[in-house]
Amino acid sequence: MKILIVEDEPGLRESIEAYFTEGDNVCEIANDFTSALAKVSVYRYDCIILDLTLPHGNGLDIIKHLKENQYNDGLLIISAKNSLDDRLTGLDLGADDYLTKPFHLSELKSRVAAIVRRKSFDGNNFLKFNEIAIDLSAKTVLVNALPIKVTPKEYSLLLYFIANKGKVVSKSAIAEHLWGDSIDAADNFDFIYSHVKNLRRKLLEAGGNDYIQAAYGMGYKFIEQ
Amino acid sequence: MKLLDKYNRINIAVTVGIMLVTGIIYYYTISAILTNQIDKDLVLEENEVFSYVRKNQRLPDVYESNHQQIVFEPLGNNRLERRFLDTVYRETTENDLEPGRALISSVTVSGKNFRILVTQSKVETEYLIQIIFLITIGVIVILLVVLILLNRFILKSIWQPFYKVLSQLRDFSPTNQTAVANTPSEIDEFKELDNAVVTMAGRVRNDYQNLKAFTENASHELMTPISVINSKLDTLLQTDKFTDKQSKLLNDVYGTVSRLTRLNKNMLLLAKIENGLIQDEQEVNIKEVLTECLDLYEEILKNKNITLETQLNDKKVEASILLLDVLLNNLINNAIKHNHRNGTINIELNSRQLIISNTGNADIDFEQVLKRFSKSNESEGIGLGLTICKQVCDNYGFILDYNRADRIHVFTITF
Repeated sequence: MKILIVEDEPGLRESIEAYFTEGDNVCEIANDFTSALAKVSVYRYDCIILDLTLPHGNGLDIIKHLKENQYNDGLLIISAKNSLDDRLTGLDLGADDYLTKPFHLSELKSRVAAIVRRKSFDGNNFLKFNEIAIDLSAKTVLVNALPIKVTPKEYSLLLYFIANKGKVVSKSAIAEHLWGDSIDAADNFDFIYSHVKNLRRKLLEAGGNDYIQAAYGMGYKFIEQ
Repeated sequence: MKLLDKYNRINIAVTVGIMLVTGIIYYYTISAILTNQIDKDLVLEENEVFSYVRKNQRLPDVYESNHQQIVFEPLGNNRLERRFLDTVYRETTENDLEPGRALISSVTVSGKNFRILVTQSKVETEYLIQIIFLITIGVIVILLVVLILLNRFILKSIWQPFYKVLSQLRDFSPTNQTAVANTPSEIDEFKELDNAVVTMAGRVRNDYQNLKAFTENASHELMTPISVINSKLDTLLQTDKFTDKQSKLLNDVYGTVSRLTRLNKNMLLLAKIENGLIQDEQEVNIKEVLTECLDLYEEILKNKNITLETQLNDKKVEASILLLDVLLNNLINNAIKHNHRNGTINIELNSRQLIISNTGNADIDFEQVLKRFSKSNESEGIGLGLTICKQVCDNYGFILDYNRADRIHVFTITF
């Protein structure tokens, strides 16, 4: 997977780069409008992570440039501006998704993974991970080719884990991914534990491996075996 | 008391006082002049008697003329002081008693002393004084009537610009988008007042806009460092094994960063609502938004063992889905957050009202809560929730109200 990170804030750029660089993933970076434009004019990426407020230009113009040239790169906007207008303009221009800063890296990764999956859709919309297969259009899960019954939350949780395989995912990232802002009303994250426990039990009962590990009381890790 | 009333009261009191004093002075002056006139007549009569006596060496015949009587009496050897006095005049033809003026004098005729008493009626003088008194009273009454009528006229027309400026001031709010308009007037004071008010309103609104712009910009700028912290935390999480102590610390930092994020997001949202930047108004069914909203809270409710009872009817309003979502989310969020374990939440939606009631312990001072950053001690929230709710309600003309009965907190939105 080849990814371009367009972000002027060095701290954030480095974190994203470090989080995404693994296995056969390649990350390139651009820290301003000109270098970003230069890169997207020459190279093609599976996904471009694009900050809208850039030195020397507006990120929206990069989207326009891509669309004018009919480049089909995946596009994820990350912006501190939570304004509806920017969001709509970005999506209208052809961005695939929009993520408001601040975000969890795991959330970013799962969004990027979803975009890349959609872009490489080739008829059979299956996501495979060892013995687990996920039918993305029917939203069902198969273990060893046998379907297992999962709730919508468990389904999203599994996708989230697989997108962030090998990473420790914090409980607050999971909570925000599954419940959004409503998580504010909860006293604790106990109910996340029951969701994770149920998912793990269902995978094990269907003969799958034990991939989900608790990580130091802070979160969970979906290990690659 | 109105300024004009106050002014008039003093004005009228002083005017009436002066009129009365003038009347009194008039009375005394005129009666003095008239008495003086009568005295002169009396002296004239006396002189006629003297000259008659000198010429004829006897007393004149006593006759009665108009309003004048003369009486001679032998005096013997007594001396008599010549003097004027007020007395009673007896009108012989009609036998009336009238106020009169008399002169007592003496004359010697052939060695005999006689007393002369000349009396003249004062009835015409009294009549004159009565007329003067009536005229004075009449003028006072006319003056009062004119002043009262003038007062009404002035209030209706001349003071109109003042009241207009005043009502504009009363309705003025820095959040309001409509500007304070100039009130034309021909009176310098009102023109100055109007100019001062318009300038002040402009300045206040400008300052307020700047402050809001600052808040919005500051929140924007804060988002970048917060996202760096967030991403660094996520990165740190990947590094190595952590001890229990370290993970506890990390968890706390995570929690604090998400609170900071929410606070910042809410501040931005509030600034946007106040600036009227969210305007995707469309017909929305509150029931649908509410149902979607409640779905999100299902597990959290279960976790706290809170019973949810709903009675929802369709209710369509013209509003932004985003804001409506924020409004309902905040209210439900509060109802859960300020609830206790095994509590209940009751939600009723009809065409007139949305009523959300929940069990809870803490008392809320509603007015206080609506102010920014105020929160109850037990609350982990950031105190902007209800302020945002109020702002959204204000935007669409809904009325947000709070009641507490026993330990049930009831929030009502009246559409």
